[in-house]
Amino acid sequence: MNATRVLLQQRQPMIRFLGKRAIPSQVDHTPHVHPASPSQSLPDSFASYRKKAQQHGPLNQSSQYSTIGGRPGSQLGPVEAGKGLHFDRSELPQRFQRLAWTQAEIEAVESGGASTYA
Amino acid sequence: MFRSVLPRAVPRQLRPVTQSTFCAPNIYFQGRLRRGYASEAEEKDLVIIGGGVAGYVAAIKAGQAGLKVACIEKRGSLGGTCLNVGCIPSKSLLNNSHLYHQILHDTKNRGIEVGEVKLNLEAMMKAKETSVSGLTKGIEFLFKKNNVEYIKGTGAFQDEHTIAVNLVDGGETSVKGKNIFIATGSEATPFPGLTIDEKKVITSTGAIALQEVPKKLVVIGGGIIGLEMASVWSRLGSEVTVVEYLGQIGGPGMDAEIAKQTQKLLGKQGMKFKLNTKVVSGDDSSETIKISTEAAKGGKEDVLDADVVLVAIGRRPYTAGLGLENIGLETDERGRLIIDQEYRTKIPHIRSIGDVTFGPMLAHKAEEEAVAAVEYLTKGYGHVNYGAIPSVMYTHPEVAWVGQNEQELKAAGVKYKVGTFPFSANSRAKTNLDTEGMVKFISDANTDRILGIHIVGPNAGEMIAEGTLALEYGASSEDVARTSHAHPTLSEAFKEAAMSTYDKAIHY
Repeated sequence: MNATRVLLQQRQPMIRFLGKRAIPSQVDHTPHVHPASPSQSLPDSFASYRKKAQQHGPLNQSSQYSTIGGRPGSQLGPVEAGKGLHFDRSELPQRFQRLAWTQAEIEAVESGGASTYA
Repeated sequence: MFRSVLPRAVPRQLRPVTQSTFCAPNIYFQGRLRRGYASEAEEKDLVIIGGGVAGYVAAIKAGQAGLKVACIEKRGSLGGTCLNVGCIPSKSLLNNSHLYHQILHDTKNRGIEVGEVKLNLEAMMKAKETSVSGLTKGIEFLFKKNNVEYIKGTGAFQDEHTIAVNLVDGGETSVKGKNIFIATGSEATPFPGLTIDEKKVITSTGAIALQEVPKKLVVIGGGIIGLEMASVWSRLGSEVTVVEYLGQIGGPGMDAEIAKQTQKLLGKQGMKFKLNTKVVSGDDSSETIKISTEAAKGGKEDVLDADVVLVAIGRRPYTAGLGLENIGLETDERGRLIIDQEYRTKIPHIRSIGDVTFGPMLAHKAEEEAVAAVEYLTKGYGHVNYGAIPSVMYTHPEVAWVGQNEQELKAAGVKYKVGTFPFSANSRAKTNLDTEGMVKFISDANTDRILGIHIVGPNAGEMIAEGTLALEYGASSEDVARTSHAHPTLSEAFKEAAMSTYDKAIHY
């Protein structure tokens, strides 16, 4: 009886071991305000950029940023523009843009290919 | 003819094809397959602009995670402001000037007779440079160890994935990154009306490299940087006056009671303070500089005469020449890059960490952010607790705090308990003949959870680590009080302050 009372009176520290740290299974990756932001607000540009931008698939998918290569590309959804939208080639990453002609290529075309054998 | 057939509205820069990674299968196709979608140059997983604390820690962490990393730094040595012209050199000077001051004034009562004591400022500066170069070279070694490519040059955004680099050794290059971190840090805020020449009108950079001890030094700004530099030169023989706009020293984060006690202790060392005072203008046309001041609320005017003026009114984010306009990145009204909770700018693959973005401008905060930002990249999850970032002022005695102070809690209407313990009642402090200062705990009135810890006293900077850990774990003051602390140590003062918060201290 007394032993139980002693046990019940024992102090419970506020510090508790919670077990090994693990990454939460559900992490919300949509942009939120940074905890140290003085204004406690995000400008509209964050949402508007994500609406139009395409980076390895549309950006406005919430579960996209798990880890690099965490999901196969096919699962990232279609890369086509949304309804009523279109992409200009110049908005794509540079590797998808038209290549500028080099001087050697211009000469090759103008000389009918002769310059490549000169 | 060709040009007229295919007119181009905007002449584009020719893209340099340095090296093709595409291997043509036979001789006919060699050099002819440039126009394909095969990538031409290696793209890094992560490019970091800035090799300061935020940048270099992120680079090493990313290298350890197996990412292909490049770090661009224009200074010519790694470590940024902290290692080159900030925390590290100032700590070298603070430590050595304290030793000098102690040998001059505090040896007889300890039973040590010393002969003539002379200052060799040149040698003191050399000792400082040795510590700095040792540490910066150490980072270069860590870069090599973790396969980080170190690019010495000035980086500027060409587009969202490409950074053009103006190399320090001449020439240009560009580097592409799937992800980019902006970690360009901060610079001292100039004072309007005074031209910084780093000789007579100086920032902290000039204050750690003065060639001779100024007779009269005026410090504009009584924050941490100002007071540390004021301490160095006061100990070496300058007559120092600190002018502060606010009603307390140490900046708004320091607990008012601690600030008051610190001011008293520094005053005893010979520093003069002019609080609630505004610097109106400065005149550096003659040999000495004249600083005109008036009371912050208007009224009483005064003119201070100085050989050297230290401008220490704060720091501002450094983004000049970064080409933010090329990618449409915005900053807030104070020039800080706007980021979300995962350090992403509005362009999600471009993140920003350290002084250039939100939060206190502290090296250890930058370090935490660097690790978290890389973890967001590699694991999708990171952690920084902005409520438990310690601040330390390395004067003597040191001042350190973590969490909230009394004035903040009062303003928020939180009910709290306070417990204090003076170092004059601590055995180790007594044996060291270094008994100035106290430890102050603030805990929640209902739950006893620690809300803030404030220390002024010997070794406060080291002692605050225990407080930060307690705060991070959500400990109560009783948890700390019931933890055994070795005897005789200064840390017993910490334990006893916790005891006095929830109950009573034994030795006071």
